[in-house]
Amino acid sequence: MTIELERSVGDPIVIDDLERLTFRVDRRAYTDDDLAARELTRIFDRCWLYVGHESEIPEPGSYVSRDVGGRPVVMARGSDGVVRVFANSCTHRGALICSQPSGQARSFRCPYHDWTFSNRGELVGVPLPDGYGPGFRKADFDLARHRSESYRGFVFATFDPEQPRTLTEYLAGAAEYLDLIDDQSEVGMEVIQGAQLHGARANWKLMMENSVDIYHFRALHKRYVGYMESLGSVPPRRRGGFGRALGLGHGANELPPAAARPLAYWTPMFGPEVRPRIEATAARFVDRFGADRAERITGTNRAVLIFPNLMIIDAIAITIRKIDPVGADRMAITSVALAPKDEDPDIRELRKSHYLTFLGPAGFATPDDIEIVESCQRGYLNRTVRYSDLSRGMDKEVPETTDELPAREFWRQWDRLMHGDDGHLDRAGTREVGPR
Amino acid sequence: MTVELTVDEAARVRLWHRVSQFLFREARLLDEWRLREWYDEMLTDDVRYTVPATDVRGEVTGALGLIDDDAARLRQRVEQLLNDEVWCENPRSRTHRMVGNVEVLADRGTHLDVAANVVVHRFGHGRSDAYVGKCRFELVVAGESFRVRRRVVVLDHETLYEHGKLSIIL
Repeated sequence: MTIELERSVGDPIVIDDLERLTFRVDRRAYTDDDLAARELTRIFDRCWLYVGHESEIPEPGSYVSRDVGGRPVVMARGSDGVVRVFANSCTHRGALICSQPSGQARSFRCPYHDWTFSNRGELVGVPLPDGYGPGFRKADFDLARHRSESYRGFVFATFDPEQPRTLTEYLAGAAEYLDLIDDQSEVGMEVIQGAQLHGARANWKLMMENSVDIYHFRALHKRYVGYMESLGSVPPRRRGGFGRALGLGHGANELPPAAARPLAYWTPMFGPEVRPRIEATAARFVDRFGADRAERITGTNRAVLIFPNLMIIDAIAITIRKIDPVGADRMAITSVALAPKDEDPDIRELRKSHYLTFLGPAGFATPDDIEIVESCQRGYLNRTVRYSDLSRGMDKEVPETTDELPAREFWRQWDRLMHGDDGHLDRAGTREVGPR
Repeated sequence: MTVELTVDEAARVRLWHRVSQFLFREARLLDEWRLREWYDEMLTDDVRYTVPATDVRGEVTGALGLIDDDAARLRQRVEQLLNDEVWCENPRSRTHRMVGNVEVLADRGTHLDVAANVVVHRFGHGRSDAYVGKCRFELVVAGESFRVRRRVVVLDHETLYEHGKLSIIL
């Protein structure tokens, strides 16, 4: 194995030196085709991967089809109401059994030979069945079902039958952040129709790093910051903010909002009309959760990285961003907005509007992120500069949001898995954790 | 032999010609980065510029899109682009618009409903991309010319995977 060899001869990809307080990543991690192929087998074939949100398949028979970890899958709610994730591949010859991105179906029919599967995955129809011998049993040809679990409405699947952790165990400290999202509505959260499907000509890990990097914000996103200031953003009502390592590669930043939050944090940029409604919602959260937790839910922005390729950013809107590698130097990005199902229509419009101001391929910020990660990828062509540095805040007990602890947590888990470590190291094995 | 147009046909040809000229001028101003002129002279004060998401065919109530600018945010977009604050448009990309299939769908008295197809080629930062879309305009009659009150560009792409971003005004 090349990688073990490299490590043994002192040529590692990730250099994590807690004595000298340096953290460096060899840029081959972003450019090397063999490493990219190995990521698929050692990371994407093994981890729990985000598939979608239960609200995307609200009724029995609802389904979505999409790629997860490079594999086409169908997430369907069967007629029995159970959410399942199937391989989107006919068990006969392999064609996709579902070509629509979403819809309602009692069954999926493969167009090749008309083999038909129920929305629970059972093979229910085979034309000209007399052509098969007496040993042929339809039950042997049900759709391949992936192990899947849901946590607070977020559906994940794993392609590793021996994945030792339940989803909740796998989420480790990140589960708390999904609680903080899902607690935002008593009737549940929903994905708003309309996905932003785009990509970048850069390695997928650059976008993961970028999504938990607050250090770049005032530099790269001057135009967004300027626009928000022109709308009358006000200083946060409290100070603070920190980065955390959540175990198993997950990390988060939390910080007081610089702008507003449509859920229950009003500032003048939202206009006076909605103020009473937003403040009434804020009061209800205090009743439900007490002042401290209510402030954490309603009055705090957060960005959480769930290893390997999911980002949930909860700020002036909530975005779920799934980032998929396509070889070493390309990625596909799927972003959707999440919101309370029972949201006031005017506030929903505010949420959508502010979402678009920042996010997506035409927002006032995301296009610059796309351009900068592509610029990094181009910069790596000059192999004379061998390492990228991610050492900010290594000397601190409580890293600030502009430090790089969440990115280091990501890379440490990446390094363990790429070396074939089974990832059993628990949070105690992570020496830098940030505030508990 | 000359073809005689009826009075009605002649009026429609004149209207179609005026609308086409208007859209061609709009394309030229955008291609020449004369964005302030475009904003000031060709749009109404209550303009709305919308680009729906590529997985939602056309305009769907309640859905999230890619762009949904009111006049203020569109003004901001223009100023950011012109002030070179848009990092991914600095240096400015070169764009080349082809506007075709111009059709006046309906004359509603105070405004016209107009459809057109557009292909916007964008070159810059070592890349070339084409954005292909169907436009719907609501054109308010303003003297001898028009102003755009609604500008919807429905992209025909399944995704913007190849493009990554949409940093220009379509």
